[in-house]
Amino acid sequence: MKFSKNGNKIKSKFIISRKNVINAILLIVLFVVPLIVKSPYYRDLIFMMFFYAIIAASWNFIGGFAGQISLGHTAFFGIGAYTSTLLYLNFGLSPWLGMIVGAIFAVLVGIGIGIPSFRLKSVFFALSTIAFAEVLRLLSVYFRGITKGTVGLLIPFKEGIQYFMFRDKLPYIYLTLILMLIVIFVAKFIRDSRTGYYLMALKEDQDAAESLGVNTSLYKLIALIISVFFASLAGSFYAQYLLFVDPDTVFSFGYSVNMALFSIIGGVGTVLGPIIGAFLLTPFDVLLREWLGNEFFGLNFVIYGIVLIIAVIYFPSGILPRVQKLYKKYFFKNILEADSRKSDEYRKINEGEKIIDKEFFLKSNILKADSTINKGSALLQVKGLTKKFGGLTAVSEVDFEIKKEEIVGLIGPNGAGKTTIFNLISGFLLPNNGTIIYKGNNISNLKKPHKVCYTGITRTFQVVKPFQNMTVLENTMVGVFAKTKDRILAEAKAKQLIDFVGLTRNRDFLAGNLTIADRKRLELCRALATEPELLLLDEVMAGLNPKETEEIISLIKKISQTGITLFVIEHIMQAIMNLSERIIVLNYGKKIAEGTPEEVSKDKKVIEAYLGEEYVTKC
Amino acid sequence: MIDIIIQLLITGILLGGIYALVSIGLCLIYGVLEIVNFAHGEFLMLSMYMTYWLFNTIGADPYISILIILPIFFIFGAAIERIIIKPLINADHLNQIFATVGLSMVFQNLALLLWRADYRTITTAYSSKSMIVGNFMISFPRFIAFLIAIGIIVILFVFLKITYTGKAIRAVSQERRAASLMGINVDRTYQIAFGIGIAITGIGGAILMPIYYAFPTVGNLFSLIAFVVVVLGGYNNLIGALAGGFIIGIVETFSGFYITPHLKEAIYFALFIMILLFRPTGLLGRKENA
Repeated sequence: MKFSKNGNKIKSKFIISRKNVINAILLIVLFVVPLIVKSPYYRDLIFMMFFYAIIAASWNFIGGFAGQISLGHTAFFGIGAYTSTLLYLNFGLSPWLGMIVGAIFAVLVGIGIGIPSFRLKSVFFALSTIAFAEVLRLLSVYFRGITKGTVGLLIPFKEGIQYFMFRDKLPYIYLTLILMLIVIFVAKFIRDSRTGYYLMALKEDQDAAESLGVNTSLYKLIALIISVFFASLAGSFYAQYLLFVDPDTVFSFGYSVNMALFSIIGGVGTVLGPIIGAFLLTPFDVLLREWLGNEFFGLNFVIYGIVLIIAVIYFPSGILPRVQKLYKKYFFKNILEADSRKSDEYRKINEGEKIIDKEFFLKSNILKADSTINKGSALLQVKGLTKKFGGLTAVSEVDFEIKKEEIVGLIGPNGAGKTTIFNLISGFLLPNNGTIIYKGNNISNLKKPHKVCYTGITRTFQVVKPFQNMTVLENTMVGVFAKTKDRILAEAKAKQLIDFVGLTRNRDFLAGNLTIADRKRLELCRALATEPELLLLDEVMAGLNPKETEEIISLIKKISQTGITLFVIEHIMQAIMNLSERIIVLNYGKKIAEGTPEEVSKDKKVIEAYLGEEYVTKC
Repeated sequence: MIDIIIQLLITGILLGGIYALVSIGLCLIYGVLEIVNFAHGEFLMLSMYMTYWLFNTIGADPYISILIILPIFFIFGAAIERIIIKPLINADHLNQIFATVGLSMVFQNLALLLWRADYRTITTAYSSKSMIVGNFMISFPRFIAFLIAIGIIVILFVFLKITYTGKAIRAVSQERRAASLMGINVDRTYQIAFGIGIAITGIGGAILMPIYYAFPTVGNLFSLIAFVVVVLGGYNNLIGALAGGFIIGIVETFSGFYITPHLKEAIYFALFIMILLFRPTGLLGRKENA
């Protein structure tokens, strides 16, 4: 272990320096090329490349990082263009201020449209964004008094930095380049922060993310705000460059599609993908237009359409991830670390581990469950809990109590309402009646699972919900982030948890590639990472072979020893009898028995529920 | 006053029937494949052009050309399903959405390239004829279009109800895995459903041609109408789509008369956004569809 760590350390240093050199060279090239290129034609091309890179990257925040596909992003682009232009034309406000006003306005509008639309399924979110952009386009055509309708607004040329107008193209190019670098920087920062992990997680599985304490609506909104802010700024830049704004350009559906197209070609959801997409496609676009001429107007869009279709069918991950894969394959064959993002930071993380070892994990328990409640007193009290689905009462007047540091089993035939009770406790469902008191607070009306997670209750799912395209480590980190913002700390703690549940060998595997037994372990690991006081386990042993079941049972016992209270749904009787101190039995939504495993197994009602009436008399 | 309202109502209902036909293909495809066809309006546009050319080359009456359009569009739809939709049936939403968005770009710009942006209409003997019933005027081509639309919808419902293929389509739309376990060829059902959806949309284009004009981006307007209608009706509910069509038809005639026809599209959109915001399950939809 030590040896490989050292080996990696040396190599990771090498990567860092090499990467920085490459970055520095790229940066110099970006700044020098516009100086060398003298022809206005090519300078225009360079401006368009930077400009498209900005709008593609801005779309990528919401469409790529958060996975919420906006097809009406021009709405915000147009708001920026119109706001700064109208403020300048009517009130003489400098476009520099105007674009900030526009961006703030766009953000407010974005929040207004985002909050209600995020409830929709992704396709209908996309539709509502199209509709929104169309409404803005139609209104800007209709209100001629302000916008001059389809004629558009002309900005009279007046040179001066305070007017954001220049005779030469060079200042525009550099300003756009700076904005592009800012967007890249923000994207990189977001990607590597807790927010980035949360966005990846909610994109993969919203319910699982919520159960781990991710306020999914809030994080989607954060992504939207950043996205809208830059799209609006880009709109103002565009207006100042062309000195002309009209509804059919700035609100065009085509722009919205282009934003996404660049990202998809380059690599959707990556930091540099949209930039690469824009850099490749913009010159292609210019060449194509030139080559086709006016004779074949429209053919370029036909070609884009075909490119788009082929890309989503055959190369859905885009260019950047493929190139990265190849790069790794040929240049870093002997580096064990799978992910470049991690190898960069390897040294820092090792240091982080040491700090954590001293400050946090020198205690005997990895998992700490500090509590104001003493062992043996009530942690969770459920009273008169009732949930109806239409005419069906899934849970009816259920009362029970769970004491601190207990292991309580919840059993019952299929359809008895076990999972519904978990859904009610964990905030995925609202009860029709009854209360759920946790540590003296009523949590039955929290509505949002992430809020329940923050009170100290975490659940696993009957059908496991791993974040398939994230590694085991990243999955676990999402859980750890419930308690810390620091990524290095989170990574170190996640590693210890992974060791604890026995997934060490699979740490850098994608969760989608794990076996069912390992997925169940991961589900446990992720839930533990949120440092719950009460852990709800929904059939963690279902589908496992006897050996795997045994391993999970010993793991659950180990978890219990750290002081975490467990509430367990299970169908494997042997396991639940062996594990639980107390068992609650449900049938048809009602609690029919409660007691120690022996008591419950002798209870007539329980036997009747499981085996039918005739067995009761025989016993 | 009452007369005006009744007249508007009649016009709205006639229009609504046509809108229902234009939208029901989208609804069927979404219900079965769970894919929103963003190129829906472009299929309609292509069928309008086809009707136009059939009329101007061989002099086929738009209503007769339905017989030609129906099989061609069925095969066209089934082929598109095989090439573009099938590879993406289990893909991310992102890929599904952009595949049909790409398709819509291709069709729209191909039309622009081939036929330019000109508005094209056809003039038949009955184009501007109207019937007078009591105090009310009923446009003849709109009336015929309405009858055909309702007829096609009834045939579709009967087809889904009684034929094996129809039952298979309904089964797949409810639970594709269970359907495949019952021996239904799901892939084939998808293809047939997509073909039927496109064929119906093709008929929609044919009956629209005598009362509307064809141009390359005409699909945008009808895509929009279809989206609104389908969302109103509760996403995958065909009866809902029928009702949604009537609602939109009536809303359009009344808003056109009392507000302004210029903001027609803005009113659709506003309605659309409002439904999505306040009743995300659609006016006639059930909860689980949201």
